[in-house]
Amino acid sequence: MKNIIAVFAAIVLLSITAKAQTLSGFVYDINGTPLPSSTVIVDGSIGVFCDYNGHYEIKALSLGKHSIEFSFIGYLKKTLEIDITKGENNLNARLKEDAVMINDVVVVGYGVQRRKEVTGSIAKIDAKKITAVQTPSFEAALQGQAAGVQVSQSSGAAGAGSLIRIRGVASISGSGDPLVVVDGIPITQEYFLNRRAGYGGGFNNNPLASINPNDIASIEILKDAAATGIYGSRGANGVILITTKRGTSKTSFEYSSRIGFSKVASRPNMMNTEEYLTIRQEAWENDGGTGYVWLPHMSSSTDSPESRKAAYLRAVETNTDWVDETIGTGMKNAHSFSARTGGDKWSMYSGFAYDDNESYMLGNSYTRISGRINLDIDIAPWAKLLFSGSMSEGRNQRVSMAWSGGLGRAMSQALPYMPVRYENDTLVNGVSYESGDFYQWNTNWNMVAEREMKKWRSTENRTFTNAQLILTPLQDLHVKFTGGFDRMLVEEDMWEPEAFNNYLDQGNLYSNTILNWNVGVTADYRYEIDDTQALTFLVGSEYQRADNFSWDYYFPNSPSPVYSSDSLQSLLDTADRRVNLPTQHSFLSYFSRINYSLDDRYFFQATMRVDGSSRFGRNSRYGFFPAVSAGWVISDENWFNSKNISFLKIRSSVGKTGAANIPDYARFGTYSPTNNGITYAGDSILYPIQPANPDLKWESTRTIDGSVEIGLLQDRLVLEVGAYHKWSTDVLMNVSVPASTGFTNYWDNVGTVMNRGIELSIKSYNTTGRLGWVTELNVSKNYNELIDIGEYTPDAISGGSNDSRVIVGRPIGSFYLVEHSHIDTETGLPVYIDLEGNETFEYSNDIRKYVGDGLPDFIGGMTNSFTYGNWDLTALVSFSVGAKIFDSSAKRQLGVVSDWNMRTELFDRWQQPGDEATYPRLTLDETTYSLPSGFPWWNTSLFIYDASYMRLRNLTLGYNVPGKNEIRLAVNATNVFTITNFPGLDPEVVRDFENAQDRNMSANVTYLTPPQERAFTFSITANF
Amino acid sequence: MKMTTFLLAISLSLLSCDRLLVFEPGEVILAEDAISTTDDLQRLLVSTYDVLGNLYDGRVQIVNELRGDNLAEPDNNNDYKAVYNRETTFFTGINGGIYTDFYYAIYRSNVVLGSFDLVEDITPVNRTRITAEARFVRAVCHLGAVKMFAQPFGYTSDNSHLGIPLRLEASQDPLPRASVGEVYSAIIDDFNYAAEHLPSSNGAYATSDAANGYLAHMHFLMQDWMETVSYCDAIISSGHYALDTDLNRFESGITNVETIFGIQSFMDSDLLEDATFVDFRCESLRDNYRSDNNPTPQLTFSSDFINWWNGLGEGSGDARAEWFTSGERNFCNRFNGLDVFNVPLIHLTGIMLIRAEALSELNENFSSAIADINSIRSRANASLLSESADATLIRNAARIDYRKETLCEGTWVDQLQRRGTMGEDITIRGGSWDCPGMALQFSNTENTVSGFVLNPEGGCL
Repeated sequence: MKNIIAVFAAIVLLSITAKAQTLSGFVYDINGTPLPSSTVIVDGSIGVFCDYNGHYEIKALSLGKHSIEFSFIGYLKKTLEIDITKGENNLNARLKEDAVMINDVVVVGYGVQRRKEVTGSIAKIDAKKITAVQTPSFEAALQGQAAGVQVSQSSGAAGAGSLIRIRGVASISGSGDPLVVVDGIPITQEYFLNRRAGYGGGFNNNPLASINPNDIASIEILKDAAATGIYGSRGANGVILITTKRGTSKTSFEYSSRIGFSKVASRPNMMNTEEYLTIRQEAWENDGGTGYVWLPHMSSSTDSPESRKAAYLRAVETNTDWVDETIGTGMKNAHSFSARTGGDKWSMYSGFAYDDNESYMLGNSYTRISGRINLDIDIAPWAKLLFSGSMSEGRNQRVSMAWSGGLGRAMSQALPYMPVRYENDTLVNGVSYESGDFYQWNTNWNMVAEREMKKWRSTENRTFTNAQLILTPLQDLHVKFTGGFDRMLVEEDMWEPEAFNNYLDQGNLYSNTILNWNVGVTADYRYEIDDTQALTFLVGSEYQRADNFSWDYYFPNSPSPVYSSDSLQSLLDTADRRVNLPTQHSFLSYFSRINYSLDDRYFFQATMRVDGSSRFGRNSRYGFFPAVSAGWVISDENWFNSKNISFLKIRSSVGKTGAANIPDYARFGTYSPTNNGITYAGDSILYPIQPANPDLKWESTRTIDGSVEIGLLQDRLVLEVGAYHKWSTDVLMNVSVPASTGFTNYWDNVGTVMNRGIELSIKSYNTTGRLGWVTELNVSKNYNELIDIGEYTPDAISGGSNDSRVIVGRPIGSFYLVEHSHIDTETGLPVYIDLEGNETFEYSNDIRKYVGDGLPDFIGGMTNSFTYGNWDLTALVSFSVGAKIFDSSAKRQLGVVSDWNMRTELFDRWQQPGDEATYPRLTLDETTYSLPSGFPWWNTSLFIYDASYMRLRNLTLGYNVPGKNEIRLAVNATNVFTITNFPGLDPEVVRDFENAQDRNMSANVTYLTPPQERAFTFSITANF
Repeated sequence: MKMTTFLLAISLSLLSCDRLLVFEPGEVILAEDAISTTDDLQRLLVSTYDVLGNLYDGRVQIVNELRGDNLAEPDNNNDYKAVYNRETTFFTGINGGIYTDFYYAIYRSNVVLGSFDLVEDITPVNRTRITAEARFVRAVCHLGAVKMFAQPFGYTSDNSHLGIPLRLEASQDPLPRASVGEVYSAIIDDFNYAAEHLPSSNGAYATSDAANGYLAHMHFLMQDWMETVSYCDAIISSGHYALDTDLNRFESGITNVETIFGIQSFMDSDLLEDATFVDFRCESLRDNYRSDNNPTPQLTFSSDFINWWNGLGEGSGDARAEWFTSGERNFCNRFNGLDVFNVPLIHLTGIMLIRAEALSELNENFSSAIADINSIRSRANASLLSESADATLIRNAARIDYRKETLCEGTWVDQLQRRGTMGEDITIRGGSWDCPGMALQFSNTENTVSGFVLNPEGGCL
């Protein structure tokens, strides 16, 4: 603030003083990169801002010696002396980055703090790191940026989200995602809106995709109880605070453009016709079959040998590469424009962006159009109004994927001997097809036909509105009234022609609207007891309410999808529709925070929060979540005198946070609506839906946390080492209960979960000067263990269909399968390990056991940044070591030869006695492997793989064009290469989940999941 | 002080707003408000029939046929294959779904039985009827479940072998499996109460005849021949039912004249403006068997069955031979041309045939048994049983016609297992009648609480 006052004072002074001497120069960082808008102050009173090239000029200086102070946010101040002579004088300065950032301002819950004062565990991510990377959605760019924050990019689908876990997952059935707060308002985070009427299409919607990364100023990740405690009710899984850019008094513009393309990062290795038929024929003969093998969709096992032969010979004439038919090259095209301006009493930021992001899957793209205005107005010396408003529309052109079709089907049921189109006029099951018609199998259209015939689009319209009125009725007292509104409208619009569904032209629209209101009031007061002591008080209250409405619209005989038909849209109010029951929930919170600082080196903080949730009954509605923490900057002690240690701080916290991320009405016992439309024999019925649990209560987590921050060698090397222990009790679980009770599921507080871990962050300025080289490394290890689940067995909670279970003594979502030992060299049959550790040929669900988990031993990221002149090169390597992955699709692709295509690894199979092979004797009959009849899913640990990987996640080469305006050119590559032993497609995977429990339980399970993309982009950014 | 007051005022500004945290589900009804009138109770009771309709639209019948020896291995349905090969696990969907549905209906029946105190306007007559119907449905479901998920009655001499959880009141507490003897005893209690208190006519719903019909079948399985004959006599002599003149018991729009209890598909041409509302309760039978609109139906008859039929020497003279077409696959024709139909569960033909066999076991009243068999055979233009047939011939004839008449109805396997418990050498597709896999595995939800004893799996081949 003093700097700003000085600058304005200088402007005033310069306007009334005219002298001949001028001082000019440049302000660079240690690597020679200009620092635009850095501040230059002469003798503590006269000052200017640098332009975008870091250039400054001060006129009318008096002759003689002057003290020139150079400063820039995030850099250490530097003061130089100069003897001003007549004429032009020149003085350049190189500022050193403040690695410890002790004076950097960090956003905390309901306020900001100097980093030095922070007593909680908070990681700050600079906005530039978000926009530097080409990702489907901004949160993917957080990968590898902060210790203890695990970000797994889900898939290569356009607009796909990521799985974010902060210091492990404590929840089981409730959402384990961190709370996301944008400009102080917790936003809607609903990931399962694309599952309307079973049409999820193997793709979860991403509520974060609508946020324009160019609008983000900074991201703070709150990790421990001291930091998250102020968000007590929902802080158990961490908090992500997003702060958007705001205006400045000086007008400036920024334009950026990015173009590029993407390809699949890892291509499925499916068999061609010759390979598949060879494998199938061998399986048939192994099973005792003679003659030609029967072929799915072309012949059957009961056909005569002649019929089978004819089908076989027809099959060899076709060789369709279904993977090629579903993937290609996706184009990227993004533009962003923003402006900052302002006056004496106002400032404004406005940003507009267009981002067209095609994935490598043909027909799949995500297009986002967004706009934002952030307006700050000083309406009185004691009152300030802040307004933020943004609108965005995300359009996702959808194709089926994973289990639903598309590329997923190319990896499963699409057999290579099936053509895309009929070559000749053909009669199948009484239906005639002409040459050129799309080929069908099993009454299903093939993926190319589906893609071309079906029109399918999801649209997300998102509005964030946030207003803050800040009053200062007394000195150092600020009262802030806030109001926020987040509206999310997701519409899944699907149209199928009659030729596709064999019924009629049909347009369906599945609509979801979530309205999220937030109002609150806070008051903070800083009381300086004396020169060495200060107290800061914060009290506040907040109310949040969310309403979720959904409708299904059906338009039979519609000639087009709803989105392209004005007439259909006008009929929405009268259309045949099903109104789904709205759900509502609310939180009412009271909170307080007290900070005490002594000698600017001892810091103490206490937070208390009481949260009430509508999701709990009167007896357990409110939860109390306290936290205390302390920090000590040892290096500021008078007695501390170390040449090597330039900064040393320790801090610790203990506290309790909570979670209530369960369905809104989980506690109620409910019956069907009166008019439920269901009848028997023409009589209406009434039926129970779910059992009541009036005692449902808050899930709570007690956390102990501590860390040490050290700056060495004048902060050229900065380290932070932290450790934590989280103990979660009353974990909310949607347990499967015996069906004989009349229900199959029941919400209850059952589990106890422990997370503990250590984190290490290092920032090192390896070289300075013309060639600059900075290394940032973060590594973290989290250990997760399920401590207790009461009387329940592992099968009480499952991760969807992913064979992950709750096993006491193991991490949440451990893989629970029959253990595979080896392939018997004499018989070629698989050998299993029973519960006593003995080898057996007998497969049984009774011998399922823990066979691994997706919990890595450690994860991390390393960024190396090089600068040379105007050039810079940044490489981000992310890594994960020790996790397992369950390739759930391999149990079909590498197991019993069935109606799925197989992967070429299967060539390593047993063929004759003495063979040592990875895969067993081929068979068409699942009972050969001792699987139960009708159960071709060979669920064994054979398909548990080491998921360790190291990935060159991001490589960016940039050039800053010299000149008055700041222009930057950059080329960027993502997912350049991956080093891994995983034989499947992608060791970093987040599959399409069915619900929050599945999302918690089934990390590192892949099932026909589209692999990530490899993208190459060129970007240009101009500031003027 | 002013500041303190100011801060306090702010922090307290939203206190006493607990009502902001009260949201209740919209149009659904809270459990505590759901039942307060006779109509509520009646609609909850109807929902138990709704579940029966979902169970016996063919799902249960198909699974039981697959456990027997009439059908060939299913075309490609993995669940059906697992049942056919007697290798169901708790991952197999169809057995888990059926088991769950049985207990949905049992739970609802128990809620009905426990809710009379909540209903002020109920009359004694309604209370009695509703009680009887709830106990009837509970018994039907317990019986259906125990036959599928446990070894049959008679498997052990005292029937102490494991049955199923016996749910006689609504509770969320896990229950272990009761013995088959205990389950049968409770079922008989329920059916007896129902037989005594149900009306003789009750629309689409249970009647006293229906309860008697089930009791007849139960006692037959329990080899209690006297009781079997007694309950059959009560039905046959009631005059309420007659053999249909044709062979189609799966009719639509009307209740077949020989149906004592069954599932109704409902049609109403007035409900919709431009179409007839149809509540299909026959889809599983229709969609898995019909061969006139599907060249590859899921279910066909086994060659062993065809050979058995041909071995009887009736040829095409028996009109029931029209129910199948033999060839490379032996298609079922019984439901061809039918889109919507009612599904009889207890019918006069079955009652007459089990009475005939019971009489043969009792060695009495052969003339009645022969007359019953011949009335059924003559309807099918089949060769008649000699008027002088002895007990063995009568028993064999009754069994032959029972197998024929109940094709696709899912009860033949009960008879095979009964005969197994009687000491006959019964082999079903190469496996013993009591091999472990004959009892379906329980739903995976039963395995979520420690201590529940699952069925052994496989062991039939």
